Amino acid sequence: MNINSAVYLATRSLWWFRGRATTIVLCLTLTLWLPVTMRLLLNQFRAEIVKRADATPLIIGSRGSQIDLALHALYFDSVSPENTTMTEAGYIQNSGFATAIPVHIAYRTQSVNNVDGVPIVGTTVEYFEFRNLSLQSGDGLTTLGDCVLGSNVARNMRLAPGDRILSAPKNAFNLAGDYPLRMNIVGVLAPAHSPDDDAVFVDIKTAWIIDGIGHGHQDLTTENVDQDMLLHKSDTSVTASAAVLPYTEITPDNVGSFHFHGDESTFPVSAIIAVPQSRRDQTLLLGRYASERSEVAQCVKPSKVVQDLLNIVFRVERLIWISSLLSAVVTALLLSLVLFLSIRLRESEMRTMHKLGCSRFTIITLVGTETAIMSLAGLSLAVFAAWATHALAADWLRSLIF
Amino acid sequence: MFHTRYTICMITIDRLIFSYPRSNFDLKIERLEVNSGCATAIVGPSGSGKTTLLHLIAGILAPNSGAICVEDSVLSSLSDADRRRFRLQNIGMIFQDFELIEYLNVIDNVLLPCRIGNVVELSAATKQRAEELLTQVGLKQHLRKSVTRLSQGERQRVAICRAMLASPAILLADEPTGNLDPVTSDQILNLLLTSVQEHNATLVMVTHDHSLLHRFDQTVDFAQFLIPAMELTGHAPGESA
Repeated sequence: MNINSAVYLATRSLWWFRGRATTIVLCLTLTLWLPVTMRLLLNQFRAEIVKRADATPLIIGSRGSQIDLALHALYFDSVSPENTTMTEAGYIQNSGFATAIPVHIAYRTQSVNNVDGVPIVGTTVEYFEFRNLSLQSGDGLTTLGDCVLGSNVARNMRLAPGDRILSAPKNAFNLAGDYPLRMNIVGVLAPAHSPDDDAVFVDIKTAWIIDGIGHGHQDLTTENVDQDMLLHKSDTSVTASAAVLPYTEITPDNVGSFHFHGDESTFPVSAIIAVPQSRRDQTLLLGRYASERSEVAQCVKPSKVVQDLLNIVFRVERLIWISSLLSAVVTALLLSLVLFLSIRLRESEMRTMHKLGCSRFTIITLVGTETAIMSLAGLSLAVFAAWATHALAADWLRSLIF
Repeated sequence: MFHTRYTICMITIDRLIFSYPRSNFDLKIERLEVNSGCATAIVGPSGSGKTTLLHLIAGILAPNSGAICVEDSVLSSLSDADRRRFRLQNIGMIFQDFELIEYLNVIDNVLLPCRIGNVVELSAATKQRAEELLTQVGLKQHLRKSVTRLSQGERQRVAICRAMLASPAILLADEPTGNLDPVTSDQILNLLLTSVQEHNATLVMVTHDHSLLHRFDQTVDFAQFLIPAMELTGHAPGESA
């Protein structure tokens, strides 16, 4: 029997028993698709995670968990490490080894259009340059109270430049604490396919205002101020009563009244991204934080922290592979049983073939060709389905990661 | 007495003993000859070994002892592979229940021996012959039809065409009219006899229908083989017109 005849007879048979053949092909497809897709998605997951970490040379923050610090600074993770201060930013800048980009992520926005609040990232303009973030619409941050939305935030919350968004206070019952600040949306960032798409960016001073470190209120030094608002007034100082409410929105009229109490170097930042000029500077800065600054802060290499974290997380991958292997073995056994039973059901056909002069080898060739066609179809479908899943689920996966 | 048109012995069976494994059934034939070009009917009670004999002549089964000679070949001494090759080259078989392949259409069933063996080439000429055979038996309109959608008579005709495709020297038919009404039965028998005459083939046909026996050159009654230790000499005991 030549191969053309074998394929012809096999395809006729498969078409005739198409219900059974389709079931076998689908079983094969699912068995192969699951591990292949898992592999592709896990690889993508790893690449996405590592990519951002690799692009960030150093992160400086308060002493404590390196993982918390790295995840917070890189992915705006909700687990906040202890704050460090602007002193560290000044130290890095003055050392001349690196450019310091402070990042303060302490608050989230309120939910808008049934979309949960997103992190508010207080930073400086250097951050946008460092992350290659560009504006899709509107303008950049120019004044206090301005904010720029990540692309996903703008799309999901259906917001655009000219709209406003409120910060969410950490504690609604703390009247002396932070107040919600109504921020002006001045721009929307172009998609970056990173956590930046899911954050709202403000100037770091605006972040401090949300944090309650800076505020604005009516002028209490004028003569015609309501005396109920004052607890004490002297030539050098004024102590306001609780009747004085801080502004919850920064407008051109009241922006002048916003001020900060205390020394800016003591103001909090979640982390500082340090961008060294060279590898030598990076090593020197790491050395500084391993020695003279080790008591007050830590400097971590995000790529190493994330890789260590992934090594732990991806040990689970082995379990996935083992379970996939087991399910493949079970499926193979079941398919063998199905094939065996179907051959038994077709015993009379095989007997007829033999009576007509068909050799045992030819019958095996026929059954083998049918099995090969079904296997090939299952494999092709699995590869196509894995590719389609990978292509279509990429955005969904990214949303899961970030 | 039986009438023979040819004097050359096509099939010779000598001192044949056959038994199925784990079975009490024994087939013993001392001597049986079928002449070339003859139409031979085999009759006998159920279970007497008529179908077994056809399978032995076709080489599907091998005897325990004795010799089966077909033309110049001692079939009983050939290997299974050689018997299979011999079967493809020389024998056309028509089974009692047709044994058509349900997933193949009419013409593909007829061409099946070409696809499963290398004896007859699957050429355009072969396909044309298959179509001609089917046209002769009135199935021209059903070439691409599934055999499951044919009537019993039509299926039997497909089975005959499949057996005739390679113009075999011997045509073995196992109760081809068993499931058919008298009219269709007569048509099928006419077709078989005409076909073997046209191709100068030898026909050995098992039948229970004694009303058909007068149309055969030779009749072999298997009831005689059932008598223990009976020795047959010379020609087979059946008589024909």
